[in-house]
Amino acid sequence: MDKDLEKLSALYDGELSYKEIQEGLDKMHEDQGLKETFHKFGLISELVQRQTKQNTSKLLFFKDYLIKVNPVMSNLFTAAATVLITLIILYQFDDDRFQVDRESSLQLSSAISSDEAKNQLLDADQNIMEHMIHIMQSNASHSSQQISKNWIPVGFSVNPTNPNQYSNGRNNLFFHLENKQLGIKKVKYFKANNNWIYLIPLQDGKLLTAYGDIPPSVANPMIQSIYQRN
Amino acid sequence: MGVSKGDEVFVNEIKAGNAAAFEAMVLKYQPKLMSSLIGYTKSRDQAEELCQKTFIRVWQKIDSFRGDSALFTWIFRIGINLAKNDFASSFSKRSKITDSLDQNEHDVPEYLSPETELIAMESEDKIMKFIQTLDADTKTAFTLREIDGRTYDEIAEILKCPIGTVRSRIFRARQFILEFINQENIING
Repeated sequence: MDKDLEKLSALYDGELSYKEIQEGLDKMHEDQGLKETFHKFGLISELVQRQTKQNTSKLLFFKDYLIKVNPVMSNLFTAAATVLITLIILYQFDDDRFQVDRESSLQLSSAISSDEAKNQLLDADQNIMEHMIHIMQSNASHSSQQISKNWIPVGFSVNPTNPNQYSNGRNNLFFHLENKQLGIKKVKYFKANNNWIYLIPLQDGKLLTAYGDIPPSVANPMIQSIYQRN
Repeated sequence: MGVSKGDEVFVNEIKAGNAAAFEAMVLKYQPKLMSSLIGYTKSRDQAEELCQKTFIRVWQKIDSFRGDSALFTWIFRIGINLAKNDFASSFSKRSKITDSLDQNEHDVPEYLSPETELIAMESEDKIMKFIQTLDADTKTAFTLREIDGRTYDEIAEILKCPIGTVRSRIFRARQFILEFINQENIING
């Protein structure tokens, strides 16, 4: 029975083969119980998505309140809220593989979908938040410091019109080098809409930020290579 | 964003006249459409009427869906246009759905009574709090699917686990939530 329901759940997500979908539809058509469960999947989905949106709205409402109370604070909040809207999970790079940072993941999803968002925001590391927002908002040009050619992933080449942008014809990547490491000891990466932000602390005390639409599978060997050559 | 792989199959099947596919599509999107229409009309009765009308229109117009947008976006647009037309008509609020019913072989499922169409507002907090208590693996997979709209392939890549594990985690989350809903008697479906 559980297997049937698991298939129904995958059918709801459109994650079955064409043949399985047809079989699933026929089975559901004949079974009132399956129809009700399928509909409840829809109810759950609607609730979760709406609540997430509402909580995002609450954050923005709180920002309006802060503008009146404390303009400086509201700037920080604007930045943090932007990140919370777009970031779903914070990851951490450990040893030779990527892992989800459980604690951070919970913290962020909690911030997104609970009334404790305000406290989560105020507790968040504002330096990292601000740094990421700066990167996300100004990815057109990061001309702060020279990027080592050794850091560029195989297959990527520099864009002639923007020396900070690299492309392999399919994905784009920007680099930014910061003198401070913002307390980051291990590589952390974030998902922001369709882009990824990789914060890579270097041995010389600098922080390399790579930003672009390159997934962890592409970034992983790049980061390994940076550590080997740095 | 275009139509998702799963919805594409639904659409093709509906275009081919598959009633089961149409029914599944209604069951899947009715809660979301109802919620949006209640938000738009501020009237549950009117939203119900528009919801039914929308799905009838979807059945009639499915051949014109080209897949340029997500399926729900297209459905929602139809619903909102119907709502606007209703507002424009001074007597529409009291009118019954009569247009082109004779062209439809498949009615919108009727077992969904108004009471079961949406989860009661007072129960929503309980469910959201319950979701927070799910174990991290289950919750992460479920959140990536429901909030981020990720495919199973993408989730498997992000979480570095087999796609079968993603599928069972997402199902497990739904199963736990359904059990909680039944336990709390939140929906009498």
